[in-house]
Amino acid sequence: MQKPIATTRSMAGLPTGRLAVWWVIASEIVIFGGLLVSYIMHRLGHPEWGGYASHTNTWAGAFNTLVLLSSSLAAVLAHQAAEHGDGKKAASLLRLTCLGGLLFLCVKGFEWSHEIHQGFVLSTNGFWSFYYTAAGLHALHVIAGMIIMLVVSADAAKGRELQRVELIGIYWHFVDIVWIFLFPLLYIAK
Amino acid sequence: MTTHANPAAAHADRADHGEHAHPNYIKVWGVLVILLVVSVCGPMLGIQAVTIITAFGIAIVKAYLVAKNFMHLNIERRFVVYLLLTMLAFLILLFGGVSPDVMRHAGRNWENTAAQEEIDRALAAAGGKPVQKAAEPAAPQAASAAENYKGVCVPCHGEKGDGNGAAAVALQPKPANFADPAFWQTRDKAHIEKVIREGGPAVGKSPLMAPFGGRFSAQEISALADYLLTFKK
Repeated sequence: MQKPIATTRSMAGLPTGRLAVWWVIASEIVIFGGLLVSYIMHRLGHPEWGGYASHTNTWAGAFNTLVLLSSSLAAVLAHQAAEHGDGKKAASLLRLTCLGGLLFLCVKGFEWSHEIHQGFVLSTNGFWSFYYTAAGLHALHVIAGMIIMLVVSADAAKGRELQRVELIGIYWHFVDIVWIFLFPLLYIAK
Repeated sequence: MTTHANPAAAHADRADHGEHAHPNYIKVWGVLVILLVVSVCGPMLGIQAVTIITAFGIAIVKAYLVAKNFMHLNIERRFVVYLLLTMLAFLILLFGGVSPDVMRHAGRNWENTAAQEEIDRALAAAGGKPVQKAAEPAAPQAASAAENYKGVCVPCHGEKGDGNGAAAVALQPKPANFADPAFWQTRDKAHIEKVIREGGPAVGKSPLMAPFGGRFSAQEISALADYLLTFKK
């Protein structure tokens, strides 16, 4: 099978695949950043939002932060294993990372269903609109990352395309960083 | 173009940084978890400054540690770092440009009544502290003559009352010059109040001087007239 060109050549001094990932992340910074910056200015202009934020579950948010940080650790260890040529270990660490993502989504599901039951929905007010949009967009990124990770790990288990382990790892760490900022913005500031 | 059959070769791209040494990832993770604990416990003290530092200051430190050690930005090509920082700069630009309109609910020539009403309503519903906000509806009444002058008169009559406001260039006839002693020879306070209340045409002058009787109370108009007298030299 012919290799995709992105994995076989180098542009601007780094492999094309990695360049592409950085490019994706650069645009993601503006996507998430634009949303968060809008949230921050509305939050500062609306003293009543502090009251709305007090309904979010800090412990669930903190637990999810721990889950994502730990899954990032698994992702970076997978990268290390891939560099040593250990595809099997890299694949199982990537699947462990996926499991972290799954746990994260379960906690999110529990949180959201509880909040929706209490009557806080997307259209309740500005705060909840931002809450569901920001956390929802982030959750979509978690899901996308998990799917890509499963594909990459299937190859890696056979010792193929090991450089992709690092690439999906970089993306996952970025998703982790987004959550690192979402957590204090949505859960801690009350 | 170089080819990479395996990841080891891909890493040769980082040759200018020497062999890619892995930091102790578990240790980095440990530090991140400790920082997480601090960022949750700090705000529990309920001190605003501590909350801001522990919640947001620590978030920045955590993001830095992840970007540096997990994403390996410390050994990545510099242009990648600059690319990402440029994106962050765009966000600062966005905040600087848009936040004044979002964070404030009134300006010199505009008022976002919907936002203000929503804040008042929500704070009252929360049984919180509407006291501070309840004082605000009364505020326009209590606004000093200087503020009213600044808000309404300055665009045409200018900061110094000399008829040289930013809009004056386009106006014909020119706005009245309150700093001109000749102006005051033919006018008294009652006359000024009438013009503010009913507009220029009420005294046979330009309709460009709009009436403000609907906007200001008699008391405010009187105070405004007194204020105009202070420009007299």
